[in-house]
Formats: sequence, structure tokens, C-alpha cells
Amino acid sequence: MLTAFARAFRTPDLRKKLLFTLGILVLFRLGATIPIPGVDYANVNQCIKEAGGNGGLFGMINMFSGGALLQLTIFALGIMPYITASIILQLLTVVIPRLEALKKEGQAGTTKITQYTRYLTLALAILQGTGLVATAQSGTLFRTCQVGNQIIPDTSIFRTAVMVITMTAGTVMIMWLGELITDRGIGNGMSILMFTSIAAGFPGSLWAIKQSGKILGGWGEFFGVIIVGLAIVCLVVFVEQAQRRVPVQYAKRMIGRRSYGGTSTYIPLKVNQAGVIPVIFASSLLYIPALIVQFSGNTTSGWAQWISTNLTKGDHPVYLALYFLLIVFFAFFYVAISFNPEEVADNMKKYGGFIPGIRAGRPTAEYLGYVLNRITWPGSLYLGLIALVPTVAIALFNGSQNFPFGGTSILIIVGVGLETVKQIESQLQQRNYEGFLR
Amino acid sequence: MVTGFSIALIVFSLLLMLLVLMHKGKGGGLSDMFGGGMQSSVGGSSVAERNLDRITVIIGLLWFACVVGLGLVLKFQK
Repeated sequence: MLTAFARAFRTPDLRKKLLFTLGILVLFRLGATIPIPGVDYANVNQCIKEAGGNGGLFGMINMFSGGALLQLTIFALGIMPYITASIILQLLTVVIPRLEALKKEGQAGTTKITQYTRYLTLALAILQGTGLVATAQSGTLFRTCQVGNQIIPDTSIFRTAVMVITMTAGTVMIMWLGELITDRGIGNGMSILMFTSIAAGFPGSLWAIKQSGKILGGWGEFFGVIIVGLAIVCLVVFVEQAQRRVPVQYAKRMIGRRSYGGTSTYIPLKVNQAGVIPVIFASSLLYIPALIVQFSGNTTSGWAQWISTNLTKGDHPVYLALYFLLIVFFAFFYVAISFNPEEVADNMKKYGGFIPGIRAGRPTAEYLGYVLNRITWPGSLYLGLIALVPTVAIALFNGSQNFPFGGTSILIIVGVGLETVKQIESQLQQRNYEGFLR
Repeated sequence: MVTGFSIALIVFSLLLMLLVLMHKGKGGGLSDMFGGGMQSSVGGSSVAERNLDRITVIIGLLWFACVVGLGLVLKFQK
């Protein structure tokens, strides 16, 4: 394991990529600490201290931005606009025929969709930036804080415009940093940036637990949380790696003098085929009603009251139930749009492959669909439970909802970590066979 | 002073957005982000792309300097 690390750094091109990635990450974190000009930094800090790191409605998004959101830094919006844009386009692909046609086109079409995502990111960044600045100016960002409405001293239109534009440029900059990592570094840039943002919140939250703990001066809780977190991580890794292998036999063919095929392989169907995407979808969707209330202004009308009592708290039963159902739904939905049994069956038929005991063509597609459906059930339930368990446990033990090892953050951290390690490994294997994972 | 810095900041921000959007998008959306798709690394960027990178880096640095500058000016103005 450690030798593999050493070897990764001894390989020149891999070392260059790793160092490049680390460099970009340093820039990213640096930008996440520099406040936007016009923000009264002292007041913001005081408010954050009073709120105790618990941002309420913004807690989730604050976590995704690595604490930059509440501090109103130039990277305050983080990669949230990009993620939202990708989700929207992903959903629209199912609805709009033109996008579906583009997706089927392959490389060129995907590039075009990516380009649309980027434009949409810019629009969303302007929208969310304006919203954030407006809430900060009116003092609703920190409701309980007494200097909450003095975060931004100067509320002239010109100053507001400058702040929004700066924030938007920051978001676009993050997008570019992510693309640079994808292009020249290791792993997928956006997910690595997200990983960094979430991981950056860990030490602070752990220390807060130690401070508020009682057993052995807080060390009892501190190590307890770490051990529980590690156990959950192990479980998640175990299920993430689990897959069902559907055997495929390829017929031997002679083309000219050379023989092709004749091999037996398998189609890997992962238990959790959808990854963390359902969790991200569900949490962003559940965030929308609260956002509407925030913007509509009147918090006294019936529906607004209902939403703010039921949907803004992470430990409310209604919220938990909705969250779980949405995750299960999106797990199936995402598997349905990302894995097409008929296409796979057709491809297999074209190259003379078949699943032993099942005829090629339609029966194969039906069989694959059947297996996929059955394997997605435990997968989706697992996703929902993992996303819920920490929340429930914390609600039982009276903790804050911004527990560092929340289900969503663990799923994202493990998912991204596994993916990145796999990519490093595949680079290593070009030179050497032994990798990180055996 | 403040107005000058603000206008410079706006200009550089707009330039930065324009330049970044001019890049060819890398990485394809969500499925790429969180597992799923296969990684296809199409290596090698064209000369135009490399020049674009260079300009973007310079504009980015200037933008950053403007942010810090304006922040400091606003702070010491009071």
C-alpha cells in the first residue's frame, strides 16, 4: 500500500499530475477564504460564531462549498451551480428530443451538452449569487445574529452589482479549475473539488464535537465519532465494490486468417449502479421548497409555515421520509437512463455474444432488465438508509444536524475517493502491475 | 479609488467569464462526475487552446489582485 504510494510519486508523469491537482486544490481553498470586497468580515465571523456552525437552511449547501458560503467569500457558491446545471440537463435529456439526439451522437454531442451545462452554470451562478447577496443584505442569512444586517454595510445598487459579478466570476473560475484537473490532473475535477470542500469541513466539526463533549474531556466523543465514521466508510466501500457478474460467451469467428472472440467475459452490474447521484438529486430537490419560502418573503402564510416546519429541518420525520423516497426513486430513475438493456443486448448480438442459457436479442434484454431491477432494489434501499442513518442517530443523541460524517458526505467522499484511486491505479499499471487495491 | 477598483473588477470579471466559456468543456456532466462512465482521455490541446489558457491565467491573476485590492481599500477607507 505505502510502496504503491511511493511508486506513484516516483513515476514522473503521474507525479506531475498529482502535484498539479494538489496545486489547483490549494488555489481553490485559498479562494474559499478571501471575502468578497464590501463584506464586513468581522461581523460575518461574529455571526458564524453565534450560529455555532449551524447554518440551518443553508447547512447542506454550506457543506458543499466547504464553509465558504456563510463567510461570503469569492468562491462562496462553490460548485453548486455546476451541479445544479448538470442535474437540470440530465433531467432535460429525457424530456427534450433534441438533447436526447445529441446524447446519442457520442463524443461530439456530449461536448455540446457540456457546453450547454457551462452556459447554464453561468446563469445559475448569477441567480444564486444575487439571492445570496440579497439575503445577506436583509439580514436573513443569520436570523439570530444581532449584527446580521450589518454584514454588508453599503447596500447601494452599484456595490451589490459588483459583489454579484465577483461571485459569478468566482464560480466560473471554479468551473475552469475543475476542468483543468479533469484535463491535466487526476480524476474528475468537479468531484475532486467537491471532495475537498466536504473534507475541509471535517477537522473543524470534529474539534467542535471534542469541545462540546463531556466524556474524558471530550476525547471520548471525539474518538467515538471517528470510529463510527470509519465503520460506515468500510461498509460503504464494501457495497460500492459489490457487483453481479452476468456471464457472456462470445462465439469464435474467423475473419480472413485471424480468429476473433471465443472468449467468455461478464457484464458487471453494480449493486449501487447509480452512485451518489440519487442522493445529490434528492437533497437538491428538497432544498427548493425552502428556497422558495426564503425568497417569497412572507413567512406567515399557511404553506410557508408548513414548509419551514417540515422541510427545513434535517431531522424532521416528514423530511426524512421524503428524502428516503426520493433517493429510492432517483436510484431507479438514474439506472434506467444510464443503462439500457436493449442497447447492450443489441451490441452483444452484433458481436456474436450471448448469455449462456438465454437466446440473443429480446430475451437477453428482458433478462438483463430483470436482473438489473432486482439488484437495484437493495442498492437503492442501501443508499437511502446510509443517507438517513447518521441523521437519525444524531437526532436520537441530540446532536447538531451538521454532523461531519453525515450520510451524504460519506457517500460522496467514498465514491469520489474510490474513483480517483482507481484512476491513479490504472495509470500506475501502465508501468507496474501491483496497485493499491488487490 | 474605490470606483476605479470596482470598475476594473467588473471588467476583469466579465473578461474571465468570457474566456472560460470560450474553452472547450472537459468532462461530461454528472455520470462522469460520480462514477459510471468510462474515462476517455483525449490528450493534446491545440495551440489556440494553450494560448487561451495563458490569457485566462493572466486575467485570473489580475481579477484576484483586484478583489484583494478592493477589499483592502474598502477596509482602510473607514
